[in-house]
Amino acid sequence: MQVYLPIAEISVNLLLLLSLGVGVGFLSGMFGVGGGFLMTPLLIFIGIPPAVAVSTQANQIAASSASGAIAHWRRGTLDLKMGGLLLVGGMAGAFAGVQIFGYLQALGQIDLIISLCYVGFLGTIGTLMLIESVNALIRRYRGTRSTTNRAARRKRRWIDRLPFKTRFPKSGLYLSVIPPVVIGAFVGTLTAIMGVGGGFIMVPAMIYLLRMPTNVVIGTSLFQILFVTLLTTILQAGQNQTVDIVLALALIVGGVVGAQLGARAGRNIRAEELRVALAVLVIAVCLKVGWDLVATPEDLFNIISLGRPQV
Amino acid sequence: MRYWLALLTLLALAPRAGAQDEAEQPAADGPAIVAALTQERVDIRSDFAGTQLILFGAAQGMRESDDIVIVVRGPQEDLRVMRQSRVLGVWVNMAPVHFEDVPSYYTVASTRPLSEVGAFSALRREGIGLDHLRLDAPETERQEVRFGVEVTVSEIGAEIAEYRAAIARNRRREALFAETFQGVDLLDGGLFRAKVTLPPRTPVGDYTVDVYLFRNGRAVADRSVTLEVRKAGLERIIYEFAHQHAWLYGLVCAALAVLFGWAAAAIFNRR
Repeated sequence: MQVYLPIAEISVNLLLLLSLGVGVGFLSGMFGVGGGFLMTPLLIFIGIPPAVAVSTQANQIAASSASGAIAHWRRGTLDLKMGGLLLVGGMAGAFAGVQIFGYLQALGQIDLIISLCYVGFLGTIGTLMLIESVNALIRRYRGTRSTTNRAARRKRRWIDRLPFKTRFPKSGLYLSVIPPVVIGAFVGTLTAIMGVGGGFIMVPAMIYLLRMPTNVVIGTSLFQILFVTLLTTILQAGQNQTVDIVLALALIVGGVVGAQLGARAGRNIRAEELRVALAVLVIAVCLKVGWDLVATPEDLFNIISLGRPQV
Repeated sequence: MRYWLALLTLLALAPRAGAQDEAEQPAADGPAIVAALTQERVDIRSDFAGTQLILFGAAQGMRESDDIVIVVRGPQEDLRVMRQSRVLGVWVNMAPVHFEDVPSYYTVASTRPLSEVGAFSALRREGIGLDHLRLDAPETERQEVRFGVEVTVSEIGAEIAEYRAAIARNRRREALFAETFQGVDLLDGGLFRAKVTLPPRTPVGDYTVDVYLFRNGRAVADRSVTLEVRKAGLERIIYEFAHQHAWLYGLVCAALAVLFGWAAAAIFNRR
């Protein structure tokens, strides 16, 4: 069944969009990532113009992270104070990111930069996460409890020396407010440029840099993603008119259902296994995007439409 | 029914329209064309997945050896065409060429292959056929006088031809450009019929349909009809809202996202 997208200006199969939404939403709920790093390349692949894909994606992530964040809020696995600090940085980052996006688009290099960002971020984070989580798995099977990890937890690091320290009761941390704000700003910028929620960066950063307990990490990252993507939606719609509400609704309907199912499935899996699975997924997307960068294209010429007359 | 109505209308119009053309063309018994589309407006709604229109026409004074050529041109757009080159193993968009006023839709249908229908110069002048379609890149061109004649010279030389070919190739893949040699059916008494196929990605805007009567390699009569493709219904309302009240539209999108997320959480938690 075909449906015409009024802003993307193409006609696509509705069932395809719904199943994309369910599939990506499932992973989103399970891992606490927005799923944008999967959905944006998929949307571009099925023919949605990249600018529309990136902007509409922000809207879809907002919905799926809203349903995920509410579920975590009810279970009490959301650190509101930490989320609020991440959000302050995230909003500033989103403003900057929308400007950078416009500049790169004018240069005609947005696709290349998006792809390079994908390969760089996903490759680095996927590999790090895979190594760490496989090690954790091995430790668990050998029965040697993570004594080294506990020792590292107590060791003072540069992050612990930063000023403006405050207590985060939910996460059981006493930490400077600077790292959450900086991480939030960085992730907010990526939201606007790459059409991702940034969970794939924020979740590892919260685990490894902030040393937050894994159970509050997912809910807190969804909370930050929710508000940053809402802001990005409004900015992209207002400045670039690239948010397609019909496309967004189709993805949202599939996405919220998938996210709920994913959140349920995630509860029955242990944190280490969850991280291995997420790492493998991230590396797979990285390899796919990387392959498209180096593989000889079907057509050596790229055609970009600069403003189409409208009625 | 529509088919016959269109035909009847044409037959009724034929003599009058012919007389009008005679005024322009001095030849008293000069050939003339009338034509009409089954639809003059195509509405793009939510279920739009491409459509087909029929063009009916009648050529007055048409001879056995004459040919009919139909050219459909969509609204114009500017294009940036970039050639990809390998830099450090990665394919990068390089060497952009800016093309102006390129039709976003361009199809040609004719009774016989174009090279048999018209002389090179006639096809080139009217821009008939993918080989003759004008694709201008003004930034790369300059006017020069060679052998006492002013000609347009491309600064990137023969490479411009590759860029032009790339545009045609790309648009053909999306069925936005097409050239069919058996696209026009000749009926009795100078009546003809042709299909105009609009693909799912049909751009919105004003189209012109030019119908030519070719004799001995020259266009001896032509007729132009217009076609409007526009968004309709909810799609139009959404599009206009998104462009005229962009910030409000953004707020509505954001509110809907929260509403749907909240609704899903509420429904799933009730179990």
